[in-house]
Amino acid sequence: MTRLLRRVARALLGVERPAVYYLPWLVRPGLECVLILSNLEARFKTGYNAGPFDIRVTQYDADGRLRAEHRTQLERSTDVVEMRLPSSETAWGFVTVDGERVRSDLYVTLSDGDAYAATHGRQEFVERYPIWSRAAMTVVGAPLAWVGRTVPAFVRHQYAYVGAESRSDLLLLNLSNVTNRVRVVRLAPARRASVLVRIPPMGSHLLDVSRLARPPARGTRVVPLRLEGNAWFNLYVVGAVRAAESAPLSLMHVK
Amino acid sequence: MSSSLSALLSATFAEPGYEHLVELIHQRDAAARRRLEALDVELYDARGGLLATRAVDPRQEVLDLGALVAEVLPSGGRALVLFDARYDERVFPYRPHHYAYLHRPASGDPPLYYAVNATLGGVPDRIGAPRLNNFETYLFRARRFAERYSLLLGSVARFAEVEARVSCYYAATSTTATVTLGPKRHAEIELALEHAGEPLTRVEVKALFRLATYVVGRRASSGSLVLFDHLFTYFK
Repeated sequence: MTRLLRRVARALLGVERPAVYYLPWLVRPGLECVLILSNLEARFKTGYNAGPFDIRVTQYDADGRLRAEHRTQLERSTDVVEMRLPSSETAWGFVTVDGERVRSDLYVTLSDGDAYAATHGRQEFVERYPIWSRAAMTVVGAPLAWVGRTVPAFVRHQYAYVGAESRSDLLLLNLSNVTNRVRVVRLAPARRASVLVRIPPMGSHLLDVSRLARPPARGTRVVPLRLEGNAWFNLYVVGAVRAAESAPLSLMHVK
Repeated sequence: MSSSLSALLSATFAEPGYEHLVELIHQRDAAARRRLEALDVELYDARGGLLATRAVDPRQEVLDLGALVAEVLPSGGRALVLFDARYDERVFPYRPHHYAYLHRPASGDPPLYYAVNATLGGVPDRIGAPRLNNFETYLFRARRFAERYSLLLGSVARFAEVEARVSCYYAATSTTATVTLGPKRHAEIELALEHAGEPLTRVEVKALFRLATYVVGRRASSGSLVLFDHLFTYFK
């Protein structure tokens, strides 16, 4: 029933959902972010495994602005290209990857120079709203935001962790061309707390979960969260150490 | 318990000295209806010996595996941990995902968050368990780090031995080793960082059926886990 309602709502709003492969990125001084690009999945697919394969990486920053466009080519399906994203400042966002039949698991890595952690991207879609439905969402969304609410068109649940030494922050990705107001609600412990995050079209937000739950003196606290957004969004978990701003980070996808 | 319930056997590895919190369900709704029907957790040593078994309250959302491992393996070592879950597929149409939070206190390394291997059950054509072969791949960065890589392999079989072929790829060369695992046995297979002067770029694992399989990276100076990831199954 909910699925049918969503389909009807999308049709009424004129929403299109072009397929896209995306990966998060995150840089800061001392932290290197490198993408690993390949088309290994094609290597045993007769008729599809002969290169070259052109790949275009479009990098969006936290404000949703186009930060850079990178192009590369894989000569063979077994080739692997590493693409380093400049890291002179603290910044984050996501990239979309376009390449004919390149849909396999591409990686994003974060390194402190001595070691690295990695995760993969997702083959999904972005939502494209026509101008009139963007205007309608603005009209509806603004007064709701004033009272700390959003249109809960999409809901996700995610556990976050806040520890004495470490925590799992959330990198929220707005996978649409409308402003996405994402309300993050702490479901436990004790009474509910929430924050409302305004994410520009194709933008992202790095949410420090200690805003929602104070770190315990010892051990790690599990914080169940409910996330509501007015347009399509996804998230990555960012593993962070509490001690130092310059400490290494890890990234991880969720379903 | 109804016989119409679905089953999922998930597997991970655990070592003492880590905070290790395993999410028993991933999705949740306001009414908190999303819960398992039953869950048994079993821990095995490298030789397949049963270390411990626990029936977990299915209403529990997160299991403190770090505490359990500290109790079962006080002097170190590593355990293959199996999560034998029963669930209602109307509640979990795909499967109840298990994710986990892994952090070594005082290491200075960031916590890792990872997807626990689904080794048997769930939605068959997505997990690939009923097919005859299983083939998984993982890529590495080409430059050398102060990090060593290995594969953690565990067999969830009850009776059969399984052979796993582990192939490491370098720029122009490759090596292959065969690992034989008896029921519930596990092993850590160190991957050579270089071969013929070329850096490790890719590893592939082939086996007759699905194993518990993770790529791990350990900081060379401390052995602390800085990478704990599943491989990628392109062919099911």
